[in-house]
Amino acid sequence: MNIKQLWKNCLVEIEAGMSKANFSTWFKNTSIVREDVGIIYIGVPNEFVRDWLINKYHKLITKTIADAYENMRAVEYIIIKIENNKEEEMLPTTNEPYVNKELPLKDLYINPDDNLNPRYHFNSFIVGSFNELAYAAAQAIIENPGTKYNPFFIYGPTGLGKTHLIQAVGNGIKEKHPNKKVHYMTLEKFATDFINSLQNNKANSFKEKYRKYDLLIIDDIQFIGKMEKIQEELFHTFNTFHENNKQIIFSSDKHPNYIPELADRLKTRFSAGMIVDISPPEYEPRLAILKVKLREFNIELDQEILEYIASTIDGSIRELEGSLNTIVCQYRLRNKPLTLAEVKNLLKNNMRPKKNIAIKDVVKMVSEYYKLEEESVYEKTRKKEIVKARQVVMYLLREDFNVSYPLIGQKLGGKDHTTVIHSCLKIKNDLKDDPQLLQELEQIRIMFK
Amino acid sequence: MKLECKIEELKNKISQVERITGKNLTLPVLSSILLIASDKSLKLRSTNLSLGIEVEIPAKVEKEGIVAISGSVLGGIFSNVIQNENIFLESVDGNLLVTAKKSKIKLKGQPHDDFPTIPRVEGVSFEMDSKKLIEGIKSVYYSASVSDIKPETSSVFIYTNEENLVFVSTDSFRLAEKKIKIKNLPEISGILIPFKNIPEIMRIFGDFNGILKVCFNKNQISFSSDNLYLTSRIIDGVFPDYRQIIPKNPGTNAVVLKQDLLNALKISNIFSNKFNQVNLKISPQEKVFELSSANNDVGENKTHLDASLTGDNIELGFNYKYFLDCFPSITTDSMSIKFSLASGPIVVSPVNDPSFTYLIMPMNR
Repeated sequence: MNIKQLWKNCLVEIEAGMSKANFSTWFKNTSIVREDVGIIYIGVPNEFVRDWLINKYHKLITKTIADAYENMRAVEYIIIKIENNKEEEMLPTTNEPYVNKELPLKDLYINPDDNLNPRYHFNSFIVGSFNELAYAAAQAIIENPGTKYNPFFIYGPTGLGKTHLIQAVGNGIKEKHPNKKVHYMTLEKFATDFINSLQNNKANSFKEKYRKYDLLIIDDIQFIGKMEKIQEELFHTFNTFHENNKQIIFSSDKHPNYIPELADRLKTRFSAGMIVDISPPEYEPRLAILKVKLREFNIELDQEILEYIASTIDGSIRELEGSLNTIVCQYRLRNKPLTLAEVKNLLKNNMRPKKNIAIKDVVKMVSEYYKLEEESVYEKTRKKEIVKARQVVMYLLREDFNVSYPLIGQKLGGKDHTTVIHSCLKIKNDLKDDPQLLQELEQIRIMFK
Repeated sequence: MKLECKIEELKNKISQVERITGKNLTLPVLSSILLIASDKSLKLRSTNLSLGIEVEIPAKVEKEGIVAISGSVLGGIFSNVIQNENIFLESVDGNLLVTAKKSKIKLKGQPHDDFPTIPRVEGVSFEMDSKKLIEGIKSVYYSASVSDIKPETSSVFIYTNEENLVFVSTDSFRLAEKKIKIKNLPEISGILIPFKNIPEIMRIFGDFNGILKVCFNKNQISFSSDNLYLTSRIIDGVFPDYRQIIPKNPGTNAVVLKQDLLNALKISNIFSNKFNQVNLKISPQEKVFELSSANNDVGENKTHLDASLTGDNIELGFNYKYFLDCFPSITTDSMSIKFSLASGPIVVSPVNDPSFTYLIMPMNR
């Protein structure tokens, strides 16, 4: 028998025989640690409990276990550490100051009134063609909050500096207009606040709480999809802000039109202001970002190493930062400059692994998703639903797995590579104005993970 | 149970024991003090399952017995009794009758069967002066982390280094270390006493003079004298290896008068911002030791101190609270402040007294 289960059963029996107070005082946090040729080792949190179990409940425990587990010969008690702290992976505290000097004090700097982190400032914000529109709009908002672009909706994939930008707007407005009340929060915070206020029958104070601000920044709004009540509340909050010419800023990882189950009245309202996207940075901005980060660390690296990092890590800025952190950490540890070869070695793990997948599997997955016969995708047929599935397969193979056009054509029933190019382009174009297709692709992609 | 004892004695001991009774615990009997009359003494026992204490009072015992009486009730009664005379205690049906010359009190008892035992610690033991124990703990405990997230740092760490018993606490923003010389120490690799138990330990031994026997094993530590036994749980964990972060070769040294710095810090405090930040600027060439702070709502200030300075120029900010905390532990008139880097820890110690070291992490802005 499983020892966990055994102890659970025993506890049920023991609990029946004593007062609740006694049980919860003495048997909470106990467990069977191991069983060793008939000796059962019971783990207890401290010596007080051990002594008491031995003196008072030893007979009861022995008997209960013996009834449930016939191989038992004896019961021993040992003191174990209760694993209630999940944070143990953290480095020993005193190491922190050396590895990352800012860490220990960082929390102190988050202002509880507005939740803004002063670290996010335009001083450290890199502008490139990938985000210059968003930056320009943000500057305009700081000049004239509430009038020019209201609401300001910013969207783009994760890790590209959305949070940085919107917090920087908050900080900028605070500096420029010190009497304006700014508040930053995530949608999740908004939602929990709302639910709490409902539970405590304080819906009115909730409304008051947020409406007193002059600038409201809500991060990660894309999760609002399923929360109907929250959408409604947000809608009202939004209206109040808008009517009073108070600025409101949202960030999301999707365009509002593609946020699933978003009420139309919110969609149109989001669209009424300014919607800007941030795309992944190009090579030059990546290099610039690396240089700024390095200055923060007060460390210098060879130009060629920087160029290497900027060219290989082409994902989000967060990945870029992560890779740089790895290198800086190694640098500090060794206390001498790293060579390019060492850097290459270090970054091996940070690069996105190129996924390898059999073309057949993709076909299978997609046909399964569209509820088609696997064979039909390979067939020469122009049935609409099959053609669509086939095109999706080609698109995925090309975009996600980097398979060459001719190879895709060859594997999918001897198509010409131009056919494949056309298919990919078609899906790409369709994606722009067909949110349904976007969702389908997303779901299929999840299946691959 | 039936006995007679001195009221003064009983009053003192009850006030000691009462604080350790369990509060907010699911087991009501833990909030009581167990009175045990046996032989020629009355024993008082209480525990909150993290600390346990037992004290002995000489008494004229006529009949042996045990009763458990609510600690807060007992404390309440005896803190208000001032007559210095003998008092009679008698148990009747689990209740306690207290009879003095001019008063008669009946206290409701609780079933004492459920009252836990207090672990007797067996293991390595040594003896030390209680004054030294308190000195060691007092010098460092304020630096311990108050949060429960990391039990290792929410504690006072004790270990031996050569002939010293070393006390350390840190909350990762500052760290205090005190070395105390004690003869015939066994080797102790490390004991972590929970921070929550520290105030009680200090209170109990604060006004006690004499030799304590300290005994510890993996899970428990005890302090005992002739008529007192106190035991505390030990945290199972590893204290971070802090010795490596004490800067070996400070780039800047400053020596200032303790009182000067204290006054300057107190003024800076008025102008500090909500992060309690005070800025420090040292320039040995120009002989400048300047404390400054600024607050938008109040104003700003700059104070220059007389100091003997060597080394490089340095400028940094720190939380003045962390600095103030260590002043009571600095026993000399002047103190030495050392800096390695603007971003490394500040090392504070009394001049010519290597037994106390205090580290403060600077603020980065």
